[in-house]
Amino acid sequence: MKNKNTDTNNLGFSTILGNVSDKNSNGIDYIVQSSTFRLTFSFINLYALIVILLFFIVKGNLVGGIDNNFLDTGFLSVLNARAMLLFLLLISLNITAYFNYGFKYVCLIMLVYMLNSAIDNAVLFSGFMHLTDRPYFSAFNVTRPLFIIALIWLLIIHKDNKKAVKIE
Amino acid sequence: MFKNPQPSKLFWFSMSIAYAFCFSSLYTYATIPEYILELNNTAEIIITMKLATVRLVIVAIALLVYPVILFRFFKYAKYFTVALTAWAVAVYIDDIFVLSEVIQYPESRLISSVQSLRPILIASLLWMSVELVFRPLTAD
Repeated sequence: MKNKNTDTNNLGFSTILGNVSDKNSNGIDYIVQSSTFRLTFSFINLYALIVILLFFIVKGNLVGGIDNNFLDTGFLSVLNARAMLLFLLLISLNITAYFNYGFKYVCLIMLVYMLNSAIDNAVLFSGFMHLTDRPYFSAFNVTRPLFIIALIWLLIIHKDNKKAVKIE
Repeated sequence: MFKNPQPSKLFWFSMSIAYAFCFSSLYTYATIPEYILELNNTAEIIITMKLATVRLVIVAIALLVYPVILFRFFKYAKYFTVALTAWAVAVYIDDIFVLSEVIQYPESRLISSVQSLRPILIASLLWMSVELVFRPLTAD
C-alpha cells in the first residue's frame, strides 16, 4: 500500500516534470528509423516535388530557352504522364512509410519505375537532349542516378521489424 | 544444404505462362522479316525497335537469373518477382499511356498478338508476387 502511494507520487512528480510521455511510450512498438533514413527520405520527397514543379514550369512555358521542336517530339506528353505517375508513387511511398507497412515493396516499385523511365528516356530522347540547351532538364537527368542510389539506400536501411528498436 | 521451395501448382503454372510469353516475345522480335521494317521505315518504328531490343536484353537476363534466385536465394525471390512485376506493369503503362504518341510497333500479326497477350503475363507475374509475399511457403 505504501509502495502504491509512492508510485502515485512519483507519477505525479513526473507529470509535473513533463516526463510522462516517456513513461507511457515504453510499451508501444514504435519503430525509430535512423537519421540517415529520415534525411534520405526527405531528399527523395524534395527531389520528386522539384521534378513535378519543373514539369509545371516547362508546361506553362514559364522559362525561356525551350526549344519548341523538342517539345513537339512528344516529350511534353511523356513528361506529363511521368510526373503524374511519380506523384502517385510518391504519395504511396509516404503512406507506406507512415504506416510502416509494405514500404520496401513500394520503394522497390518506385526504383524499378525510375530505372525504366531512365532507360526509356536514354533510348528515345538521347538524340534531342543537349546538356547546354536545357540546363534544368540536364540537371534533372544528371542527378537522376543520385535519386536512384538514394532509393536503393532507403530500401536497405529501412527497418520494418517491430523488434528492431523501441523507445525506452 | 540446397533447399527446394514448394510453392503451389498455380505458381508453377503462372511461371510457365510467363516463361512461354517471354520466349515467344524473344522469338517474335528475333525473327521479324526485314521487308516489314523496310516497308515501314519511319522514325517511330526505328526507335521502337531500339527500345524493344533493350527491353528484350533485360528479359533475357531475367529469364536466366530468375531460376537461380528462386532455387538458390529463395529469401530474395519475392523482391525479385515484385521488381519484375513492377517493371512489366511500368512498361505496359508506358506503352499504352505515356509513349503512345512516340512509339509505333511494326505492322505484323505476330507482334500485335504478342502485344495483346501482355495482360496475361502481368496477371501471371502478379499471382507469383502475391503468393511469394503473402503465402507462407515451406521448404524441404
